[in-house]
Amino acid sequence: MNWRLRSTFTCYTVVLPSLALLFTFVYLPVFWAFSKSLYEFEVGGPARFVGLGNYVEYLFRDPTCWPSLLNMLLLTAFAVCMRLSFPLVVARLIFALPSERTRHFYRIVFLIPIVVPGVAVQLIWLGIVYADRGLLNELLRMIGMGGMATGWLSNPSTALVALAMVGFPFIGGFEVLVYYAGFASIPVSVNEAATLEGCTGVRKFFLIDIPMVLSQIKLILILTIIGGVQAFQNVFILTRGGPGFKTNVPGMWMYLNAFSFQRMGYACAIGVLLFLLILTLTVINLKYFKSAEQLQGKAS
Amino acid sequence: MSPGKRIAIHVVLISFAVLTLLPFAFMVNNVFRTNSEFYHSFFSLPRAAKELAALGRDRALGRTGQVEIKDAEGELLVVSRGAAAAHWWEQATNGIRRAWKVIRPYMLNSFVVSLITALGVALIGSATAYILARYRFAGSKVVFIFIISTMMFPGVLTLVPSFLLVKKMGLLNTYWAMILPYIAAGQVFAIFVFRSFFQGLDEDLFESARIDGAGHLGIYWHIVLPLSKPAFSVVVIMNLLGTWNNFLWPFITNTEGKRHVLASGLYTLARSTHAANFSTVYSAYALSSIPLLVLFVYATKPFIQGMTSGALKA
Repeated sequence: MNWRLRSTFTCYTVVLPSLALLFTFVYLPVFWAFSKSLYEFEVGGPARFVGLGNYVEYLFRDPTCWPSLLNMLLLTAFAVCMRLSFPLVVARLIFALPSERTRHFYRIVFLIPIVVPGVAVQLIWLGIVYADRGLLNELLRMIGMGGMATGWLSNPSTALVALAMVGFPFIGGFEVLVYYAGFASIPVSVNEAATLEGCTGVRKFFLIDIPMVLSQIKLILILTIIGGVQAFQNVFILTRGGPGFKTNVPGMWMYLNAFSFQRMGYACAIGVLLFLLILTLTVINLKYFKSAEQLQGKAS
Repeated sequence: MSPGKRIAIHVVLISFAVLTLLPFAFMVNNVFRTNSEFYHSFFSLPRAAKELAALGRDRALGRTGQVEIKDAEGELLVVSRGAAAAHWWEQATNGIRRAWKVIRPYMLNSFVVSLITALGVALIGSATAYILARYRFAGSKVVFIFIISTMMFPGVLTLVPSFLLVKKMGLLNTYWAMILPYIAAGQVFAIFVFRSFFQGLDEDLFESARIDGAGHLGIYWHIVLPLSKPAFSVVVIMNLLGTWNNFLWPFITNTEGKRHVLASGLYTLARSTHAANFSTVYSAYALSSIPLLVLFVYATKPFIQGMTSGALKA
């Protein structure tokens, strides 16, 4: 047997566990998501072929569809605005400090909250910030505006805003680190040229710094959009879509259909639609949002 | 930079940091407070801590004799200072003890699932990445694309069918329902990191090892692995973070609640009768943050590297 053939065989033996796991636990579920979305069935029950019926029902007859898509859109758009602003400014401010030790210190400080499990963070906002006798209401009572105190998550007119504000002031350690790495990689020559031209302060921030970290901004943008479209853990823990359907999002509805109403095929169809939405948005993003490298390539 | 400007930056950064950490400060405060304290005044510090501090001061000043405390029924008792200290200590740590009783099995499950997953990801991921980085074989490109394409599928697409799959495999309420899908999905990022790391290793190294008569496995074991410690720590830490924090999947696959990990366990705790006692709940949140806090303090550098190398992913 020649060496090459045996080597190929050995290579496949080594990568086999990887491929088998991916095939079983990723590709098979992906295939099932599409195939089972064409059926109406409960777990263990008989399946009835309905073609594209689940898709048609969700998009045209389900009254939760468009309001929940709008909620998702608003929450995602808000998250995008927040994650492209606050952490970016904080990272720039940290980077402006002269001592490496203080810069390190601040990066660590903003990273610390990641040690608290996400569920706990959401439960803390539920129990401490938004509770009847919670932080917000008690603050209002303290300054004599107790009349404005409300059940932030159960009041239909505040629930969605309250949900969006979870995590205020939105300075995630991850975003700060990514932006910081971007600022740190701006060539010295660029900064020197800017100083020579008299471009400093806020003007430099918008004209030089932001264009130079566009690829980091693009990364956070894509991740936030992908996360926002499928996110429903926050909704699940804080409101379960309520009051009424005020804070419902498609992911939440998918979960409820699968695990509360036992409509597995319908849930799969919602999942597929969300996947197609994410795919479209990612492609648009990659195609039309130029990174710093590409901009520089054009300029030179 | 002018000192005024520097101070201004510090002021802004510190206020942001305070706002970010504020909810966690209230969490820690409520670990040591009783329900009535919570209702009486949202912002007050723990009564037990104040009393303990006062007793400590008394002791430092050499005061002895008896003090008054209220017992559980609200009756005034006159006891020695030592007994009073024991009483307040009991009250301050009450929540922690109760919470620990509830979350101890969750903590254990979290450790089992996270550690086995991290081990599997490091093992399988590095082996596959090594082959992809160092060998050209028929179909190697296809294999790489097969692996990397899975990044395109979001969790929301596979959540329901994955549940149907593990149910069909009879894995519900087992560790494997979590571990196997975690390894399957987690290895992709690992392969990505390991592959670029292995490609960056010096070719001469492999040449000289081969001349010295080392086999494929020998090169991997004696040369590649010892050099790859930074890549391993990044992969393992990123993986631990993801597994530790995952809530929905353990929540869904533990239909009987036997194998709850911390994340899903905290949610069930918050919806159980234990939730009537605030200090129990907040103690549980605080206790569940300790393992990652220890890891973070112990391995800050790979943590930061891992977070920024996550940026390579997209």
